[in-house]
Amino acid sequence: MSVIDDHETPDHGMTARQMAFFRFRRNPLAVIGALIVLSVVIMAVFAPWIAPSPESAGSFVNFRNRHAPPSWDNLMGTDNVGRDVFSRVIYGYRVSLGLVVGVLGVAVPFGVILGLVAGYFGGWTETIVMRFTDIMLALPPLAMALAITAVLSPNLVNAMIAITLLWWTWHTRLIYRIVKGQMNEDYVEAARVAGASHMHILFRELLPNCISAVAVKVSLDAGFVILFGASLSFLGLGIQPPTPDLGTMVATGSEYLPEMWWQAIMPGLAILYAILGFNLLGDGLRDMLDVEL
Amino acid sequence: MSRLLDIQSLSIGFSAYGQYRQVLHNVDLHVSEGERVSLIGQSGSGKTVTMRTIIGTLPMPPGKVEQGSILYDGRSLLDLNVQERNRLKGTGISIILQDPMLSFNPVLTIQRQMDDIIRYADIRLERRRTKGERHAHMIETLRKVQLRDGERVLESYPIMLSGGMRQRVLIGMALLNQPSLLIADEPGTALDVTTQDEILRLLNTLVDDEGLSLLLITHNLGVVRQMADRVYVMERGHIVETGTRETIFEAPQHAYTRKLMAAVPPLYGDKVQTVVHHGADPMIDVRAATKDFQTRGGLLNRATASFRAVNDVSLTVNQGDIFGIAGESGSGKTTLAKMIMGLTTLSHGDITISGRNVAGFAGSQEFRKLVQIVYQNPGSSLNPRRTVADQLAVPLKFTGSDSTAIKTRISELLDLVDLPQNYASMYPHELSGGQKQRVAIARALSVNPKILVLDEPTSALDVLVQSTVIDLLHRLRREFDLTYIFISHDLSLMRNFCNRVAIMLRGEVVETGPVAEIFDAPNHPYTRALLSAIPVISPEEDALKPKITQEERASVLATSTLLEDE
Amino acid sequence: MFIYLFRRALTLLLVLLGLAVLIFIIARIVPGDPARIALGPMATAEQVTELQNEMGLNDSYPKQLWTYLSGLAQGDLGKSLLTSRPVMDDIRAALPATLELVLFTIILQITVSIPLGVMAAVYRNTWVDNVLRVVSLIGVVTPGFVLAIMLQLVAAYYLGFFPITGRLDGGIDFSADVTGLLLIDGTLAGRFDVVTDAARHLFLPSIALAAAGIGQVMRITRTAMIEVASRDFVEASRAYGIPERVVTCRYMLRVASVAPLTILGLEFASLIGNAFIVEFVFSWPGIASYGVRTILQKDLNAVIGVVLVSGVFFVVANLAIDILLGVLDPRHRLRAGRDT
Repeated sequence: MSVIDDHETPDHGMTARQMAFFRFRRNPLAVIGALIVLSVVIMAVFAPWIAPSPESAGSFVNFRNRHAPPSWDNLMGTDNVGRDVFSRVIYGYRVSLGLVVGVLGVAVPFGVILGLVAGYFGGWTETIVMRFTDIMLALPPLAMALAITAVLSPNLVNAMIAITLLWWTWHTRLIYRIVKGQMNEDYVEAARVAGASHMHILFRELLPNCISAVAVKVSLDAGFVILFGASLSFLGLGIQPPTPDLGTMVATGSEYLPEMWWQAIMPGLAILYAILGFNLLGDGLRDMLDVEL
Repeated sequence: MSRLLDIQSLSIGFSAYGQYRQVLHNVDLHVSEGERVSLIGQSGSGKTVTMRTIIGTLPMPPGKVEQGSILYDGRSLLDLNVQERNRLKGTGISIILQDPMLSFNPVLTIQRQMDDIIRYADIRLERRRTKGERHAHMIETLRKVQLRDGERVLESYPIMLSGGMRQRVLIGMALLNQPSLLIADEPGTALDVTTQDEILRLLNTLVDDEGLSLLLITHNLGVVRQMADRVYVMERGHIVETGTRETIFEAPQHAYTRKLMAAVPPLYGDKVQTVVHHGADPMIDVRAATKDFQTRGGLLNRATASFRAVNDVSLTVNQGDIFGIAGESGSGKTTLAKMIMGLTTLSHGDITISGRNVAGFAGSQEFRKLVQIVYQNPGSSLNPRRTVADQLAVPLKFTGSDSTAIKTRISELLDLVDLPQNYASMYPHELSGGQKQRVAIARALSVNPKILVLDEPTSALDVLVQSTVIDLLHRLRREFDLTYIFISHDLSLMRNFCNRVAIMLRGEVVETGPVAEIFDAPNHPYTRALLSAIPVISPEEDALKPKITQEERASVLATSTLLEDE
Repeated sequence: MFIYLFRRALTLLLVLLGLAVLIFIIARIVPGDPARIALGPMATAEQVTELQNEMGLNDSYPKQLWTYLSGLAQGDLGKSLLTSRPVMDDIRAALPATLELVLFTIILQITVSIPLGVMAAVYRNTWVDNVLRVVSLIGVVTPGFVLAIMLQLVAAYYLGFFPITGRLDGGIDFSADVTGLLLIDGTLAGRFDVVTDAARHLFLPSIALAAAGIGQVMRITRTAMIEVASRDFVEASRAYGIPERVVTCRYMLRVASVAPLTILGLEFASLIGNAFIVEFVFSWPGIASYGVRTILQKDLNAVIGVVLVSGVFFVVANLAIDILLGVLDPRHRLRAGRDT
C-alpha cells in the first residue's frame, strides 16, 4: 500500500536491454563461456573436417604408434592401439552434444509443461504432479540411471532414456515454483477477467515469465548432462567402445596411469572444458537476465 | 537555541550502470534543539539519500560527497572516522525506517534485537549493565510507546505482531539509547490511517516528554502539518522552499509547493468539489452478501475455522453513480469488489447486475463486456514480459474481435488515455507508474464496459500523478456514461470524486449515503473516528472534522497496543 | 513445532512408500526375466522355473507387491540372486563404509563452503572473492571421476603421502564393531593408530566427493549473503550501531543460510550418485561399489536394495535439513506447518 514505489536511487534512464548488455559486458567470464561453448559446438558439428585423424574414431589400429606422448603430430598423444586421442576427443564431443540435445530436447519441454500445469491449476493436479515429482527427485539419479541402463542393455539410446526419465523433474520443480509465485500477481487474474483461455494464460502470459530461468537452467544443465553421461560410461554402463566417448576413454585410459597419463587426463580435461563453458555461459546469462535460481 | 543538526551546501552524486548523476544539489537544512522539522518530497526527490547520508548508511563508493558539510552538535560528521561515527548511532542520532516489517530481522526475537542494540551501545560508551538491567530498560521503553505487555512482545518474532505494534516497537528501538535527534522516515505510511494517527500522536508525546528533536521525512502534507514546526520542501535534489509551518501552509511561495498543496484533495471547506448525480435506474443490487473463508490447519490440513470476510452487505448502485466503498485494511472492501466481479463466489445472498444474477453469468463474454476492473498496483497487474499492445489485445481477442479490428482499437485506446502511439510496443518497465495505470485503464475500457470497478487505482501513485489519473477517470466517465465502483481507503479523494459512499468495517457496511451527508454529518462512531484521524492541510478543515470521544473510539477500533489474539 | 515435525515425517514416509512402489514397478516392467538373467544363458528351464517360484515371479502382481512391501517393513530385502545371502546382510556389511565417507564429506562441505561463501560476499569483488570464485568453479565443473583420478595421481603417485585404495592399511588389525565407523570406533577403543590411518584413507575420497558440493554451496552462500545485504533490516541494524561482524554473522547469515542449506539438501542426491564413482575409483568397500557390482551382474534384488537404501538416506537427510531450517527460521516452521 506504499506510495513510495520506486527505490530512491536516481533514475538512470536506461532501458532494460541496455542494462542487461552493460551487465554482460562487465562479466568477461560469461563471454569466455560463450566462446568455449561455441568452440565445442563447432568441433562437434564439423568433426570429420576438423579432426586430424578421423579414422581414429573407429576401429582403426596403428600398433607402431601406440602410447605416443603428446606431440605436434598427436596433440593429445595416442592411445593403447595407436589412435589419435585428439581426434577421438573431437568425435567424443559429438556424442556428448548428441546426448545433450537428446535429453534436454525431451526433458525440458516435458518438465516445463508439467510445472506450468501443476502450478496453474492447483488442486488435485498440483498435488499429484508435485508428489510424483518429489518421489522422482528422491531417487538418487546416478543409481537409478545405472540401474536402468544395466537392465536394458548399455548403449547411447538407453543412457539417454535413463537420464531423460530423471531429468525433467528439476525443470518441473523450477517452473512450478516460478508459476506459484506469479499466481499472486494481479496480471494473471486480469487475464482471466479479460476472458483469456487457460492455454492463453499458460503459454502467453505465464511462460514468458519463465523463459529467463529456463534459459539459464538449460545452459547449466547441458554441462551436467555431459557430466552425467560421462560418469555413466566411465562406470562402463553407457556408450560402448569403439564409439569414442569421453567417459569411456577416461576409464580405459586410467589403466595406463601414471606413465601414459595423457590417455586418461586428456579426455578428462576435455570434459572439464565443455562443462566449464556451459557453466560460465549459464552464470553469465543468470547475471544478465537478473534471474533468481 | 543551538543547532543540533546543521547541513550546509550539501551536494552528493551517485553512479549507477556507468553513469554519474547528481542527486543532491546544495542542500541547506538544520534542526535546532527541541525542534520538530519536516522534510517533504515525493519519490525521487532525494529525501532518502539525505537521511542516509546523515546516518552514514549511504554506500560511499557509488555515492560521492561533492561538497558541503554536515555538523552534528558542532562536529563535522563527514570527517569522523568509522568508530566515532558509530558511537553516535543510536545514542546521538537514531532513526525509524519506513517499513516496519522490513526493518526487523525476521528470524530473531524482539528481545534479541533490542538487547543487541543496548549491548553494543554500552560497549561503545564503556558502560556496563547486567542482563536484568537491560531487560528492565527494554520493558520500560516499551511502556513508553504504550505497549503494556512488554514481556509477550519481547518473546515474539516480528511476524507475530500487528503492523501498528511493529511500528511502536520500532520507535522503542530508536529510543533505547536515549538519542538527542530522532529521524523518522515516513512513519505510519504502511498503516491504516487510524493507526497512523495514534503513532503520530505518540511521536509528538515522546518528543515533548523525552526532550527530543525530530526530523520527519514524508510525502504527506497533512502529516507535515500535524507534526512539524518548520518545513523544508524538496524537489529533485533541491530544497525549493523552507519556512515555518504557518508560512508554508498559508502562503506557499514556490510553484512546486503550491502545486503540491493544490493536488491534495480537500476534505472539508469550500474547495471541496461535490459530485452530484441523480442516477435513476439501479444497476447493481447487492443483497445480504456474505463470504466465509475457511482456514486450514492441524494435523490433516482439515478446515478448522472459518473467517467471515463480508457479512450481510446490502447496497444499490445506480446507473451513472460513482459509488465509493471506503474502509481500511481487513474491512472486506476488496472481497466485496471481487464478489461483484464474479471472481469470488458468495456464501450467502446474491448480487444482480442489470437484473441478472452474477452467479449465473460471470465469466461469460457478455459479463466481460459489461463489467471490468482496474487494479491497484500496475506493476503487478501488467505482465512484465508482454508489450502494451499485447496486453491491450487480450480482452479484445476473447470477445471475438479479429486482428485488424484489434489493431485499430488499440490505437483508439491509447488516444483515449492520452498515451502516445509508440507506447504500444513498449514493455511495462519502460513506463512510469502513472503511465502504467493508464494502460491498465485502457485495457479495462477496451471492450466498452458499462461498469468499471476501480480497486484503489491511485494508491500506488504520487499525489501529483494521482490528480492527473483522477481527471482522466472523470473525463472517461462523462464521455462513455460509465458507472464506477471506487474502492479506496483515501477518504479525501473520495470526497471529491464519488457521489455516494459506503463505509465498511470488519466486513460490514456501517453507513451509506450521498457523500456530502456522510462527511458532514456522520452517524456511526467508526465513520467519525475515521474522518477525525485524517491529517488535513488547513486549520479550517481541521475545525470541520467530526469530533469523537475516547470511549466511542475504543468501541469500534482495536488499538495497536494489544497483541493480536487478545 | 511438534505438529510441523509430525507432518513432515508423515509426508516423507509417504514419499518413501511411493519410492518403494515406484522401484517395484520399474523392476517389473523392465523387459527380460530376472531369473533367467541371473542364472545366465546356460541354465535349464527347470532351474529358471525354480528360481522364478522362489522369487515369487509367477505370482500375481498384487501378491508380489504385498510380499515386497511387507518384507520391506520387516527389513527384508530379499535374497541376492547370486550369492543367495539376504541382501540386507550384504548391505549392512557395506553400509558403514559409505556412511563414514558420506558423513565426513557432508561435514567437510558445511564447514568449508559456508564460511568461504560468507568471506567471498564480505570481500566482494576483491582478489579474495575472485580466487574463491575460481576455486568454487573448479569444484563445480570438474567431473567427480576426473578429480578422483587426478587426486590419486598427484597425491598418491607423486606425493606418496595418501593411500589410494581401501579404508585401512592391510597391516592394521581392527574391526569396527560398535558403530561401523572407523573414526568413532577407533577413538572409543583408544586405538589412535587406527584413527590416523582411517583419516588418511578418508582424505582423498572425501575431497573428490565434496568438491562439487563445496563449489555449489559456496556460490549460493555468496549470492544469498549479497542479496540479504541489501535488505532494509540490515541497514537498520547498522544504523543502530551494531558492529559489522555481528551484523554479518547473526543478522545476515541466519537469514541467508536458508538458500545454501536447501541446496545442500538437494546436493545429497548427487552425493550418493558421486559416491558410486568415488568408491569405484578408490576401491572403497561401500554400498556404492556393491551397487555397481550387482548392477553389472544384474542381480535384481540387490539392485533394488541399493536403490532403496540410497533413497532412504536421501529422504532422511532432507528431513534433517528441514528440521535445521525450522530451527533457524521461524517463518519456515509457521509456513510449512500451514500449507503442506
